[in-house]
Amino acid sequence: MIDPAWVSGLSAILFIIGLLGVFTRKNAIIVLMCIELMLNAANMQFAAAAIHHGDATGWVYALFAIAIAASEVAIGLAIFLAVYGKHETITLDDINVLSN
Amino acid sequence: MSGSSSSQIVDSSMAEYAPLIILLPLLAMPVILFLGKIFNTNPTWKNTLKEGGIIALAAMGGALFISLVIIKDYIGSFSNNGDIFSLTWLNTAIWEGGSSVTSIHFGFGIYIDHITVMLLFVAAFLCFLINIFAIGYMNTDPINEDRNHRFYAEFVLFCAGMLGMVLSDSFLWLFIFWEIMGLCSYLLIGFYYERPSASSAAKKAFMTTRIGDVFLMIGLVMLWDLFGSLDYSVVFDTANIAAVNPGSLQLALGMMFVGAVGKSAQFPLHVWLPDAMEGPTPVSALIHAATMVNAGLYLVARMFPFFGAESMSGELVDLAFIIASIGGITAVMAAGIAFVQDDLKKVLAYSTMSQLGYIFTGLGAALWLANSLDYHDPVAQTIVVVAFGAALFHLFNHAMAKGMLFMASGSVIHEIHHAHHHLHPDDHGDDDDFDAQSMENMGGLASKMPLTATAMLVGSASIMGLPLIGGFWSKEGIIANAWRVALEDPRFFFPAACVLVGAGMTGFYMSRMWLKTFAGKPSNEVAAHVGPTNNWIKTPLFILTFVTLSSILLAGMGFAHWAPDSEYSFLSEKGLVEGIMYELGHAFANHDTFFFILTYIAIALGAILGPFMAMSLFGGKLEDGEECKPWFRPVIRLNNWVYDKYHWDNSGIATSGLAIALQNRLYIDKYYDLAMVKIVAGFSNKAAEVDTKIIDGTIKQIEDKSQKISTTVRSLTTGSARDYILWVAIGTLLIFFFIWGVA
Repeated sequence: MIDPAWVSGLSAILFIIGLLGVFTRKNAIIVLMCIELMLNAANMQFAAAAIHHGDATGWVYALFAIAIAASEVAIGLAIFLAVYGKHETITLDDINVLSN
Repeated sequence: MSGSSSSQIVDSSMAEYAPLIILLPLLAMPVILFLGKIFNTNPTWKNTLKEGGIIALAAMGGALFISLVIIKDYIGSFSNNGDIFSLTWLNTAIWEGGSSVTSIHFGFGIYIDHITVMLLFVAAFLCFLINIFAIGYMNTDPINEDRNHRFYAEFVLFCAGMLGMVLSDSFLWLFIFWEIMGLCSYLLIGFYYERPSASSAAKKAFMTTRIGDVFLMIGLVMLWDLFGSLDYSVVFDTANIAAVNPGSLQLALGMMFVGAVGKSAQFPLHVWLPDAMEGPTPVSALIHAATMVNAGLYLVARMFPFFGAESMSGELVDLAFIIASIGGITAVMAAGIAFVQDDLKKVLAYSTMSQLGYIFTGLGAALWLANSLDYHDPVAQTIVVVAFGAALFHLFNHAMAKGMLFMASGSVIHEIHHAHHHLHPDDHGDDDDFDAQSMENMGGLASKMPLTATAMLVGSASIMGLPLIGGFWSKEGIIANAWRVALEDPRFFFPAACVLVGAGMTGFYMSRMWLKTFAGKPSNEVAAHVGPTNNWIKTPLFILTFVTLSSILLAGMGFAHWAPDSEYSFLSEKGLVEGIMYELGHAFANHDTFFFILTYIAIALGAILGPFMAMSLFGGKLEDGEECKPWFRPVIRLNNWVYDKYHWDNSGIATSGLAIALQNRLYIDKYYDLAMVKIVAGFSNKAAEVDTKIIDGTIKQIEDKSQKISTTVRSLTTGSARDYILWVAIGTLLIFFFIWGVA
């Protein structure tokens, strides 16, 4: 049995990788993948907590998070399609209509 | 409320329909308004339905019918006093420290007693008759075309308000309906809103009555504070009244009386009523003479149980004196101003104020008697009931006579207007110099409008108190009771003297009005071409003439009903004829020498001196060859005789300072304007300064600062989603560290 601390540490590393990816990458699809990475890091944290406490609640939460992540991806990709239809690009640096 | 009322429900199927009296006109309002909007130019709507007039008439007819049945039930059995219908609307409670202290019910109910019955008949009957008159007056005037539906809608809403106020079973609902009437009064005075004078008169009426209404509301809140309820069944309960501090109650009732002063146009809140004559004449007849101005009287009459309660004995006499004095001042002041008015409707407006003053004096005297006389003495009780009855009876007589006078004046104005239109067809609208309401443009109409002249004569006689006609019976009662109180409380000499002098003044100005309009020669070609009026206008005049003439029958019956167990109960013991004979004997051959002399002084002043002076000043012969109807030929002959023999020129008096002051309404309006300019405008200027310097200054500072901050913040919004996420991450981290640090 792996020590939950290792799982938790891996989760933290994955989360930071995801976060840095969100900050630095220009392609929206890569950013979406990074967000997915962060969500999975959170799931891993749930799993680690479930092992640590010996409680199934964490597993259940992880399952919920996976379901929500799937729908989030669907919506995110739909948004990108809509944005592409309008701006003909999904490079995030070029999409700054919210700027003052 | 429902518990106590269930035992008092009248055993009659008609009583259940009592709410319909209010609902019928209330529902007619939207019907007329929307149908009028949709079918405005439809010929059926115009000619058959009279632009809504027939719908209004049907609603008022229904209301009158149910009212009459309920009144008949009531008169048949006096024990049916109190709530006859009640509906709980809202149940709540005052909570204090987690437990309910007082439970509060708001509900609507119908409350019937002798005051209600009197006012209900006056309101329903006159609303119905004036509706008939309005169809004849409004629909034949081209200026009103296509907007009469607005008139009828506001008219029926007013009727609903008046009937609701009379029937409701709590001061809360009284206040609600009171305000509905105020609104309708405003809307109807401003019916010709395109005229600046009409719209400013509407505003003046609304604002002046509003002053009174604020006091009324304060009074009601105080009453609530004392009793924890505004339902009549609670506040009129003798046990509840006994638990109340008399001083606080007097203050609350005094506040409510100020409301009544505003609504009934008494001094010093009387300034709105003469201006309110800008409205169409049916409105003047209904609202500003016959019904709405009675609302204030009704409110004061409603206070009777407080004054009659044993525990309040002798405690509320000051308020009774104030009520009587305000009435006395108004009676004389308004009569004086009426001396010099040339506008036919304004004479009647001031006459209304004066007569309402009489009724207030009568009520004040009755309330004084109720408050001071021994509660257990049957003779004293009879005196109180008769005094109270006299005031209410004068309300009845005045409403009938004044409604009739206004309708007759409307008929005159209407025909003068038509004659003018006929002679000068190029003159459209009312913007020209010709004033159809000025008595200077009338004269000699007695032979041309016989029915109108008769109605005006009977109405004037009733207001003047000419023996045997209408107001005579009640006016004598008011004067006698004011003096009866004055013999015991010297303060009352003031109102008592006022009403006695006022009787002579009434005789003068009413005669002057009749003579200037109907006697003499036509003052110009317009008056010479006036023709008789139409049947819609004639019918109510005809009916009211008979009602006014037959009020002696009501007087004979009335005493039996107001004091069923006393020496006055003739209807049950002796019959109507004896009742009338007693009335006659009481008026003309009183056993008490003081009242015997008083009666004859009042008759001499009101019926002889006043008309005599008017005839010698303003009388005049009809045009040669013009014949009037036989029944008022004696009046014309008497007038000719007095005018020939005693005519004197009054130009010296007419230009005196007093006359000019009267013409300027004693400068009261001017003082109000001055006070407005000095106090209100000064205060407004100060308030404006505070506003610009302190309040605006602070806000400007805040605005400047926040603008600077926002310019700084704006540079952070790059529009790139990743930057925002970065900020979110930093923020989350900061919160995390903050919580960590705290923990």
